Amino acid sequence: MSTLGQLVLSGIFLGGIYALMSMGLTLVFGVLRVVNFAHGEFLMVAMYGAWAITFYLGLNPYIAAIAVVPAMFLFGALVHRVMIAPALDKPHLVVVFATMGLSIFMQNVALMAMTADLWDVPPMFARSVTIGPFYFKAELLIGFAVTIVCTILLQWLIRATYLGKAIRATVQDGEAAMLMGVPIPRIFLITFAGGSALVGIAACVMMPLFSVFPTVGLNFVLIAFVIVVLGGMGSIEGALLGGICIGVVQSLSGYYVAPAYGQMFYFILFLLVMIFRPNGFLGQKGAANIGINE
Amino acid sequence: MTALLTLDKVSRRFDALWAVRDVNLTVEKGELLGLIGPNGAGKSTLFNLIAGALLPSGGEIVFDGQNVTTWKSHQIARIGIARTFQIPKPYRQLSVVENVMLTAFQHNHAVRAARELAVRSLNDVGLQDYVDAPVTTLTVGLLKRLEVARALALQPKLVLFDEIMAGLTPTEVGVMTKFIAELPARGITVVWVEHVLHAIMRTATRIVVLNRGELIANGKPADIAKDPAVIKAYLGEELSLA
Amino acid sequence: MMPRRGSRVSVFELALLAVFGVLAIAVLPPTMQDIAVLTFLWAGLALAWNLAGGYAGLISFGHAAFFGIGAYASTILFVNLGLTPWIGIWIGGLIAGAAGAILAVICARLRGPFFILSTLAASEVVRIAALNWATLTGGPEGLSIPPVPGLANMVFASKDAYVIMMLVFLVAVFAFTKWLEGSRYGYYLFAVRDDADAASAAGVNPLLVRTVAMALSAGITGIGGSLFAQYFLYLDPTFMISPELSFQFALLAAVGGLGSAVGPVLGSFLITPMSELLRAYLGNHAAGLHLVIYSGLLIVVMLYFPGGIAGALARLSGGRGKR
Repeated sequence: MSTLGQLVLSGIFLGGIYALMSMGLTLVFGVLRVVNFAHGEFLMVAMYGAWAITFYLGLNPYIAAIAVVPAMFLFGALVHRVMIAPALDKPHLVVVFATMGLSIFMQNVALMAMTADLWDVPPMFARSVTIGPFYFKAELLIGFAVTIVCTILLQWLIRATYLGKAIRATVQDGEAAMLMGVPIPRIFLITFAGGSALVGIAACVMMPLFSVFPTVGLNFVLIAFVIVVLGGMGSIEGALLGGICIGVVQSLSGYYVAPAYGQMFYFILFLLVMIFRPNGFLGQKGAANIGINE
Repeated sequence: MTALLTLDKVSRRFDALWAVRDVNLTVEKGELLGLIGPNGAGKSTLFNLIAGALLPSGGEIVFDGQNVTTWKSHQIARIGIARTFQIPKPYRQLSVVENVMLTAFQHNHAVRAARELAVRSLNDVGLQDYVDAPVTTLTVGLLKRLEVARALALQPKLVLFDEIMAGLTPTEVGVMTKFIAELPARGITVVWVEHVLHAIMRTATRIVVLNRGELIANGKPADIAKDPAVIKAYLGEELSLA
Repeated sequence: MMPRRGSRVSVFELALLAVFGVLAIAVLPPTMQDIAVLTFLWAGLALAWNLAGGYAGLISFGHAAFFGIGAYASTILFVNLGLTPWIGIWIGGLIAGAAGAILAVICARLRGPFFILSTLAASEVVRIAALNWATLTGGPEGLSIPPVPGLANMVFASKDAYVIMMLVFLVAVFAFTKWLEGSRYGYYLFAVRDDADAASAAGVNPLLVRTVAMALSAGITGIGGSLFAQYFLYLDPTFMISPELSFQFALLAAVGGLGSAVGPVLGSFLITPMSELLRAYLGNHAAGLHLVIYSGLLIVVMLYFPGGIAGALARLSGGRGKR
């Protein structure tokens, strides 16, 4: 039974990291009402950044965050300015196709620049951490700890600051928020850039655990979408909950069922959620009806 | 003579709030029924219940002998109830005439026949100069007329108007009022939800008043205008409405 | 933003297609004929995608699943049961169409990005199933069609025959699309796309309209998949049911111009040859460059010409009163 415990716990920890990776997506989803199909590529680019700083400067990915996170914030702001903001008042498909195009663009620029090879950072800890009958990689625990810290900070930000209130207002009713004097364009920019920065943090804790290659984003973006949908659009706690669910599902199904089918499980889970609870566990009612009748 | 439309103890709640409660209403053929009430009275809810856009939480709706309580809006339209939208909802990528053809198709499957009916409908409401124009070139006033044209192209037995006067200039209100007043003579029964009171009080054959989800008055416009309960609901003090 | 709609294929359009067909057969060397085959096929598939995405407003990034279902169905029937593909492609189309209808019903309440993501997820489920159900689909090794030429086998020795086959497919889909545009059902599609509530109030059942649109789109895509199988003679799930392929259908239609019949055709005629040539000349030196150009083009077109090439052309030619 300790196998089960091991699987569930590692699933929880990994799921937390998945959640961290998805928090930016859910915020962008909730505030701007757009899906950034290039989300996975943001992660990829941040991972390459973390890797490069580790490789060329002899540091480690955690320290690299000092540079990666602000860089991702600026990158997100740039993408928002150039691509997202102009597309917001156009038909929905413009943003969809533009971000899809960006996704492919970034994948292939990475392919040209870095080749298709997998790059890793050298392990930082000699052995795993033992907790009772279980053992975990230290990097996994650190990643989970970072997730919890970020979740708490984000929650504080959203509950206690004006920015957070403005974000919540925009999620609930953008028009009303605007009429109340909330500077919507700036909120959009900060949310998008902030989401990008969050991805940067996630990349730095993921780099010790995963290899980076040009299409690594594809694996993770689909997971991120499932998490966002499960947890409810715009909900940070929802993303954490959803992430942990997915982590556990993946961990268990990878072991007890053929690994190949493992991926299929969370797609089916996604579809089931879409059919029966499209607003997710913690999302707001009616969220799934956005799109055409905004 | 059986009524065209009957509402029997119709109610609708949203969580704990009863937006419409135990409304009993009959509409005879050829009537021009006005539905008024202060803000938040539940007029929109009642309207959408009749139009099939909302499902009643209780009660029954019978139209032309058929129990349509659980019917969806497209089924309601097919049985002969047309509706307009308070904020016009045109098909933005189609032309004006194409917008009307959609409704005309209901009883005229051939494209040419539908187009002919659509053009006649547009002439009827005074939009003959805009037949092939993109619908995005129309102003609010003209879009409201388009709503009416679309509704009429359904060749309906009953038309539901949802605050059709909102946003119109006084001249436009006059023109629209006259138009609506003539509909019963053409065999079209009218149920009209409206805020612009002077228009509706002068044209309706009967008025019902809704307040906090309940029907508080039902009678001729002149009587309604003097009804103390109605005045209180609207103004909280004694003032004449007419 | 929309070019003029008409219900009949104009003589000009037919002449243009005929010219392309003749050119493709007579003038092009066999290596180029491959490009022509793909250009015509993808044009037909982009048109099929457009039925759902452009006309009905159901943007799908999962159409490769229908492509694969059609291809595998007809191939399995041919290879295992000896059923001639001339019948098999229709069965494949029917199965794909049914799958499309099911998807539409499942996703009936979803809008915008939720719908798109669901199509992606559904397509991935199909791909993984195909990859692992080896007894049926041959799994990752794929299925091969024996390269035995013969009319009954729908396998041809000369490229000319394939060029004609794909051109016929394109013309058929194009004619169908044009007819649909001008028909009552076409109007219902546009109305449901532009405002489903208003369409409901007009007596149109949005769920039914969307389901039929998806079924038609999926069915035609399935037939295209079968035709591709007969040309390529090899199927494997990683390519046939990939998100990349799904995206390609959408891309061709979007760049060419959604909401019109001519748009997806223009999109394919412009992008497919460019993409194939880029891949051939640059593929080895700079893997990924052709996609960089491709996607860069998409971004630019989307931001500055949301009506696609067709929309831009319509505006240039005096935009007859349209925005």
